[in-house]
Amino acid sequence: MTEVLSPLTVDDAIALLVEHDEAMPLAGGATLIAMRNASLVEPSHLVSLDRIAELRGIDRTADGTIRIGAMTRHCDTAACAELTGSLHVLRRAAGMIANRVVRNMGTMGGAVANADPAADYLPALACCDATLEIAGPEGRRSLSIHDYVDDWYETALGEGEIITAIMLPAPVEAPSAYRKIARVSGDYATASCAMALDPDGQGLRVAIGACGPGPLRDRAGEDALRGKLHDPAALAEFAGRLVALADPVDDVRGSAEYRLRLIPRLVASVLSELAPQKETA
Amino acid sequence: MKIEGEFEVEAPRSEVWDRIRDPQVMGACIPGCEAVEQVDDMAYRANISVKVGPIKARFNLLVEVLEERPEHTILSRTSGEEGTRASVVTSDNVVRLCDTDSGGTRVDYAADVSVTGRLGKFGLGIFRKKADQLAAQFVENFRARLGVTA
Repeated sequence: MTEVLSPLTVDDAIALLVEHDEAMPLAGGATLIAMRNASLVEPSHLVSLDRIAELRGIDRTADGTIRIGAMTRHCDTAACAELTGSLHVLRRAAGMIANRVVRNMGTMGGAVANADPAADYLPALACCDATLEIAGPEGRRSLSIHDYVDDWYETALGEGEIITAIMLPAPVEAPSAYRKIARVSGDYATASCAMALDPDGQGLRVAIGACGPGPLRDRAGEDALRGKLHDPAALAEFAGRLVALADPVDDVRGSAEYRLRLIPRLVASVLSELAPQKETA
Repeated sequence: MKIEGEFEVEAPRSEVWDRIRDPQVMGACIPGCEAVEQVDDMAYRANISVKVGPIKARFNLLVEVLEERPEHTILSRTSGEEGTRASVVTSDNVVRLCDTDSGGTRVDYAADVSVTGRLGKFGLGIFRKKADQLAAQFVENFRARLGVTA
């Protein structure tokens, strides 16, 4: 039997998680309740974060930074008009998660905490250079999304820690997009690609999902590609660097080899959407 | 699910064989293994705990040596279940030892593992990654046990 607790503050939630060894935080429950029903997890207590006001809402701060409360549902992220330009990629990713029922239920904090390598937010957040706000028994801290995933389903979140918000740098005017290859619409990704162009159109940021424990990002490779987005050899070299970083699984969604082959195609296809090559005269 | 690999240790084959045939040594080297109990010369029991993200499992295993060619090959079968839960794991294992040119030993291993029950619902792809990590940790522990660095 699992007891559900509903604290009203972050501090109370953390105290409950510390007090009960086998407790787990419950965000939207889209994944966790299904896992519990399948007996994959057997928490003694579920500490529901649903009534904590601090975890709600999407706000723009004075310096333009966007703060997404951890309990923000996928449907709200998918409809958020603040996520423009370089942050549009996150809106697109939110809108492609599973199906409407899951998007009405699941939250960004919950999805990020679960860190499923084939889920949609992590590559989009890695592309946006997001920062996670984390609260725990030792206090509050901020952590770059690039330092977050440690291993398959293992993250930097410690015992009793929860994600309180996801911080995004102020959006700039530059196109961004998210695309995933999936067996059917709404499935977890076989491979996915989040991409944003630089405002001058000369460079890009790319994160690949579902091809390793966490999203793949090669910032040195991105620097080397600047100014050469339409140079096929440079682009092939960049995609090759991402393939070299990948460590995909063989599973029902695709073999590891297939996933490696998807990476260059995804990069080329999303780039052609964001920066169509001009006809040469 | 097939799990295969090989590693080398800078120790003579007879020494490596003795350690591999000693359940207490193996138990101390296998990550998450505890309470190793020798049933007879050809079988032992052990508990193994494995964790993948939020999913924790603890198996009670019986390891039976089906056939052995001393200092060369062991065929074994591992079977077990997860307490009162419905997950069942079975694994057919082959371990082969051979000499290396430098006087050490190369260990080749292969296991055909099947997992059914609640854990079978979780992706086997992740189990394979986890198995590779556990194997790497085992090799490190085993080398430390033999007092060699490679």
